[in-house]
Formats: sequence, C-alpha cells, structure tokens
Amino acid sequence: MSGAAFRSIGRHEPRREDARLLTGRGRYIDDIAVPGALHACFVRSPHAHARIVSIDTAAARALPGVVAVYTGRDIAPHTTRHRMAPPIEGLQPVESDTLPVGKVRFQGDPVACVIATDRYLAEDAAERVEVEYEVLPAVATIAQALAADAPRVDDALPSNLLSHQHATHGEVDAAMRGAFRVIESSFSMQRQTHLPIETRGCIASWDAGREHLLFQVGTQVPHPYRTTLAGRLRLSESQVTIVSPDVGGGFGQKIALYREELTVAVAAMLLERPVRWREDRMENLLASSQAREDDCRTRVAVDAQGRILALELEILEDFGAYSFYPGNYLARVVAMIVTGPYRIANYRYDVKVVLSNKVGNGPMRAPMAITSWLMDGTLDEVARELGLDPVAVRRLNMLQPRDYPHTMATGEVLADITPRETFEGVLAAIGYEAFRARQAQARRRGEVLGLGLCTVVESTTYGSKFYKAAGIPGSGHEAAWVRIEPSGAVNASVGLGATGQGYETALAQAVAEGLGVPSSCVKIHLGHTDIAPYGMGSRGARGGTAGGGTLYLCAQQARRTVLAIAAHRLQAPLDAVRLQDGRVQRHEEGAWQDAGLALADLARLAYLDPLALPPGMSPGLEFHQSYEPPPMTYSNSSHACIVRLDVATGAVHIERYVAAEDCGTVLSPVVVEGQQHGAIAMGLSGSLMEHVVYDPATGQNLSGSLADYLVATAHEIPRIELIPMHTPSRATPAGIKGMAEGGVMGSIGALMNAVNDALAPFGVRADRQPLSPTYLRSLLRGKQATENKQ
Amino acid sequence: MSEQRITLTVNGENIEFEAPARKLLSDALREDCGLTGTHVGCEHGVCGACTVLVDGRPQRSCLCFAVQMEGHEIETIESVGTPQRLSVLQQALHECHGLQCGFCTPGIVMTFEPFLQEHPEPSEAQVREALSGNLCRCTGYQSIVDAILLAARRLREGAAS
Repeated sequence: MSGAAFRSIGRHEPRREDARLLTGRGRYIDDIAVPGALHACFVRSPHAHARIVSIDTAAARALPGVVAVYTGRDIAPHTTRHRMAPPIEGLQPVESDTLPVGKVRFQGDPVACVIATDRYLAEDAAERVEVEYEVLPAVATIAQALAADAPRVDDALPSNLLSHQHATHGEVDAAMRGAFRVIESSFSMQRQTHLPIETRGCIASWDAGREHLLFQVGTQVPHPYRTTLAGRLRLSESQVTIVSPDVGGGFGQKIALYREELTVAVAAMLLERPVRWREDRMENLLASSQAREDDCRTRVAVDAQGRILALELEILEDFGAYSFYPGNYLARVVAMIVTGPYRIANYRYDVKVVLSNKVGNGPMRAPMAITSWLMDGTLDEVARELGLDPVAVRRLNMLQPRDYPHTMATGEVLADITPRETFEGVLAAIGYEAFRARQAQARRRGEVLGLGLCTVVESTTYGSKFYKAAGIPGSGHEAAWVRIEPSGAVNASVGLGATGQGYETALAQAVAEGLGVPSSCVKIHLGHTDIAPYGMGSRGARGGTAGGGTLYLCAQQARRTVLAIAAHRLQAPLDAVRLQDGRVQRHEEGAWQDAGLALADLARLAYLDPLALPPGMSPGLEFHQSYEPPPMTYSNSSHACIVRLDVATGAVHIERYVAAEDCGTVLSPVVVEGQQHGAIAMGLSGSLMEHVVYDPATGQNLSGSLADYLVATAHEIPRIELIPMHTPSRATPAGIKGMAEGGVMGSIGALMNAVNDALAPFGVRADRQPLSPTYLRSLLRGKQATENKQ
Repeated sequence: MSEQRITLTVNGENIEFEAPARKLLSDALREDCGLTGTHVGCEHGVCGACTVLVDGRPQRSCLCFAVQMEGHEIETIESVGTPQRLSVLQQALHECHGLQCGFCTPGIVMTFEPFLQEHPEPSEAQVREALSGNLCRCTGYQSIVDAILLAARRLREGAAS
C-alpha cells in the first residue's frame, strides 16, 4: 500500500464499536424496550407442499392475552403482492401472496400470525391454530424438480425451471474436437444457511395520527428495504422510517423484506399498537433465507502440457420455493467470473436454476462461493489425469502481470490484480516442495496428508454497469454526506447497513483522510433512513469501495470548501494552504507551517459569521456526494491448506492454512484482518460440516436445531496465517478494492483440493460437501492406497 | 399461566418480579431485570451467547427457569467492566479485535472471566477447547483466542507485581 501517502487510511486503530458491545451495552432489536408492544408468533406449515383447505383460528383467539390472529386472507388486502419480474431473458416472472393463501411451498412457510400480549402466550396460541392441509407431493431435489412429471412448486409457471441462461464465447466446439484430452469434473455444493448468531426480528410502531410507520429491524440495506416496505404497504417513503440498530450478523440473510416482517407491519397498523417479533433459532433454520445448493460440471479441453484450450461449465442450482431475489442473481455471476486468473478464451456456460419445496434462496457471504473451487479443482483434475504437477498446470495457465488489464471471455475486465504474486507467495510460505517430501515420508508410515491450493479473483464492488451486463436489476451507486458542525465536530453518513464489520471505525478513517482531521473527531451515523442518504446498502464486498470511497470523496469536497475559507481568511493562494490533523497549515518559506487556524475556527465562521466567507460562498458546512463505482472491482487471493486425513474414521484435520490477499488500499487493517479470518472460517465450516438437509422423499427439513445443523467451533478452525499485499486500484477513490468474500471462495477450494490430494492414492475423489466422516468413509471403504497414484 | 413472585440475586442486588414458573432465566434477566446484555442465540443450549455465572460458574441461562435460580448468585455481563473501564479480558478482546458483531461476545466474556481465574496459564489448545462451547460466526475465533491468551498473560503479570 502506498502507506506514506495516507495519514488515517491504513492506520491500525482499534474499533470504536467495541466498548458498548463488550460490556453488554449494545442495542440489538430485542434489547429495545417498547412500552405496550404486542408480540407476534407465526404458525408454520408442517408440510413441504400442501394445499391449505381451511384455517380455524377460534381456539387461538379465545386464549387470554391473544389480541388477534391473521391469516393470509386477512393480510392480503393491506399489502400488494410480491412480484419479481425483471426483464431478463430466460427468467420467469413470479408473483406471490404476502402470506400463502392457496398452498404452502415449504416446511416452515408461514400461514398465520398470532398477536398476543406476551411471547409465551403468542406461542401457546399458535399451537391452537388448526390448519387443514391437503398434502401434495414434494419437490426435494434438483432431479425431481426437472422431471417431466414433476409437481409444480409455483402453479403459475409452466415448469420448475425458474431461470436458464447460456452463452458461448470463442470457438469451444472446435477446441474440444482438436484437444489432446477432454476432462470432465463434477462439483456439488450443499444447501447451507447464514446462521447469524442474532436471529431475525423487528418492531413496528404505527403512529395513526401522523400516518407514519417506524420500523426497527436489523437490515443490511436500510433504504432499499424502506422502498420495498413502503411500496408493499401502499405507503409513500415519507411515511416509513427504517432504523437498524446493532445487528448480530447478517452475511446476506438480512437484505430482502421478509413476509413475516411485512405481516408485523400490517398488524401494527391494523391494531394501532406496536408489534414486535423475534424469530427463534428453529424458525431461523426452517424459514430464514438459505443458500448455495449447486450441482456443477466442468469440461476442459487441454493439450498434452495441460494448457486449457476451452472450458464448458454447467450449473444446476436449487433456488427453493420462492424467488425473493431474481433466480439468475447468484449462479450467473459464477458463470461470468469463473475463469478468474486463468487464460481461457473459448468458454461456454449453461446455468439452470430450479424451484423446489425448500426455503427460498438468497445471497450468502460469497454468493459465488463455488467459483474458485470449480476452476482450481478443474485444474487439479487436469494435473491428475495427465500426471502433471498441479502447481505447474496453474503456472502454465495463469495470466502474467503484463497481461493486465485482461478481458475475460465473458467480457469482464480484470485490472490492477496480482494473482501470480499471491500464488507464488503462498507456495513459498507453505513450503510446497518440502511438503511433498514430508507427504511421501508420512505415507510410508501410513499417514495420509494432502495439500490444496486455490487462487481467487473476487468480484467485490458491483457497479451499475455490471448489474446491467449480468441481467440483474439494481444500482451499484452509493451516497454519503459529511457535516462539519460549528464546533468542528465531524458527522458523516452513508447508506450502508452495519452488521458487525466495524464501519464506525473504518469509515471514520476514510472521512478523516479525505478531510484532513484525526479520525477520533469523526462520528459515523448508519442505519437510520431519516439520517442516512439514500444508498444501496451492504451486500457483496461493496462497503470499502462504494461506502468508504463515497465518504472519502465527500470529505474531499468538504476539505476543498474549508480550504477556500482558510485561504480567504489568510489572504493566501489556495495551493498554499492545507488541512492536516484538523489544523490549517500554510506553505511559507519552503515549508508547511501551522497557520494558527483550526477546523473549528473555520466552522464557526461558516455557521456564525457567514459574511466573513469568501464572496459567493453559502453558509454552513454540509456536503453531499453520490458515487457510481466502476463496473466491477476485483480483489485477489491465494490459499494453501494442508490436511491430515484419518482413513479409519474419515476425519479431516486442518494442519496449516496460509492465505495471501491483495485487496488494494486498506481503510482499516484491523477490520480487514478480521474479515479475512471470518471469511476463511465460514468457507471451512461450510465445507466441513454445514448442511441444511431436506428429506428427499417428503421435503421435511431434518436440520432444525444446532445439534443437526453443525457449524465449526474454535476446535475445528485452524490458526490462519495471512500474507497481506496491497496493489491499489487505479479506478477507485484512494485505490480501495473491497474484500470480505474471497476468503470463503478460497478456503472452500483449498480445503477440497487438499482432501482430494490426500484421497488421490486411493483412486477416489470428493466431489461434494460437506466433508463429513460418513461421506469420506463411503469413498474410502474397500479402497487401498496405491503408491503410483500419488 | 399463573404468575408468581420470584426474587433473583443478580449482580449483588435482589430483584423481585412476577413471572410464570416456565419463564426462562434468559428471558427474566432481559425482560424483568432489564439486563439485555445477556443475549439469546438459540434457546437450546448450543450457541453459548446467553452464558451467565450462577454461583461463580458459567451456565446457559436459556436452559433453566428463573424460578429455579432463587437463592443463587447470578452474575451477568453488566457486572463486568464498563465502557470507560473494561476488564482485563474485555480490554484484550478490544485490542485483539476479538469481536465483530458482538452478539456472542457477552457469553464469551462470561465463560472466560472464571476460566482465567482457574487457568492462569492456559495453553492455546485449552482455550480452544473451552471456547468450543461458544459459537461465533464473524471472527473465525483466532482473535478471540489471542485475546484470551493476552489477558491471561496480563493477569499473571498483574498478580506477580
């Protein structure tokens, strides 16, 4: 990083958020006291797929403390229907009720909502709601969804095929025909869920006199959320305020407006009393957004040296029962960026997304999680099939520094990235050659080790142009304001929604840098739609470039005005003044010297003595800025992982983990390191153990508790060694690129490749996750290691 | 469900309230005692976010009823440090970036305040073993482990001086 150029950006500053969170003084949704608030509890379908014949709420309503019970029919007149119908070729338009009226589509689908004076009573009453169902056959696998006689998840669609996109770039067929070999590999990623430790929840307060809804909810995207909520309630955006307090993790689960939240808002309006809801963990596992579940296949044409001549990629994704996001939203990005750091001119993809009787999918930290495993796992198969070294195959195919900017086959442009450097960096750090010798020795002792490598090109900041090119509705812009108060205190806001990233710290550093003040005098305000400017919120890895970048630009705008006032005051030329650490300096006699003016002096002038301002300048120091980032920014990283496989039990132990990541200019090294650890841990946890299991016969969710849905603890996650690299982007403010998801992508690939390296002598390959002992034993049963396969 | 008078001793104070016998300790602490620092993450004893001390020992407050805790000394996160004066462990978590969203953090602090008293010189493996009862989705655990080891060292140095 060009660290010398920055004073605040890149400084190691501990987080501002910590003191309140460490001492139990944080304020999450459920901590907010609202006098007289009623409690909501949802009645959920026990069936994966069933017609609703009747709902009898009388017994529930008769219980003391129960104020109301609403069904889908009761809610429908007060909301518009959910419609997801962007004009995208190959994508089916869909519509659905706020709460199901005709039929339920997954186990956990909400069919009624009980409102009571107390949560315990609401739960009692929910059990008294009698729903008669006519059970329908369930669609519980991708194969079932695509069968010719499959039951239809959405009766309004001709089939369960929600989305289908395909494209061919270059001469794929000719390359396949002329290839030395064509190698096919499969990759299957299981259904997972975000599992924020804080579940969902909300509080709706309707002010009937002012006709205004205060809706407090943990959300990553306060403004888009408000637009959707107001629209669904037929209110104007002026009538709705979203307040997102401290949020206990999101990871993509807290973006879309959920049907439960909309129902709670309706209940508060109908009853003219505040209504609150907090999901329990079983509901979170049964009915909050889920993710992944892709079956993929690659076919590569190669020459005898392992050079890739053409690539075909097929993706089948199970999207669940409802389309709360466009069906192509997640898998299409995988197809667009899969070739990553490798030179592949001839490329074809085919992406099919199907509906099933499961929870609707959404983006989960690294929506494109499978991407790097697909690509590096394919290269490993090439090496194995041709008897080549996997490192040699990567070096042969990987783009050289001189190749950038590089236009990928899909037209996406990679610039200012350094995959070769991160790759060579992790190879040296992990001691690749020495490991191979150790691996051979260990094998002679009957111990099985494996090493896996994975290089990631992470799409971080999605600009509006990328969304348009990918056929995804949405804007990539962001907005910010900076206000210097009469005392010189600096307040600033941006449209992001914090869920634990440390924005109050990292973004203060961006503002401090742009303005020229110590970060300690900058206060960041987030998550309140009456305070924050209209921005697109937090998703992907856009916080750094879109959020930090917009604030940085806005603070620079503020600095220009402040310096104009200072120059006028000092009767100095504009280029002879600067603001540093909140003080004006003047260039005199060949050196910068304190000019005896602080930011506070100029701020007082701007607010309280506007006649002293330069002619024509408006009073006050308030600044607004919106910013459209480039079509896409990319960060890159390489990951190396060593595993020990217990052949007798199928247990995988991660012995060592090294990652080198280049995410450009880093606002806060503290925050970035934490994001790297967290992302890598999430990828490892998902690959090792996480699995939302649906019974293939009935569509019942078999993973409704944390005893069933396993996540990695401090025991399973290894110590992570990081090699920081910093090549600034030349296309963004301050050279910020963004990061936070590449660790998920890289750790999945590195771990899977390491396990397959360990399995290679046994002649088997793990092509699916999670890497449970049961699964690995099923591969190894009856197999003997043969020396020549290593 | 009939309510009854319950008296809890929380952070050295007696707090009386009316609640049904089935009310969980976690809910009573949050709703009846106004102590919202104890977080509820799973309500089935796995995630560890609701950990409090009962007679000095860490316990899941979602796995017991408030009424069962009469006559016991309960300590919650609110009794450990303040934003202006963090405990040694809290300070180490701050310096090592041992928290992100912070939702699991009170449970981790309440687990490790007594742990550090009982294990003044813990190994990393011991820390990871004890920490495996607390789920954190943000940090990958490494910075938490580092913070606990740092706090242990500072406590030893403090005791020695």
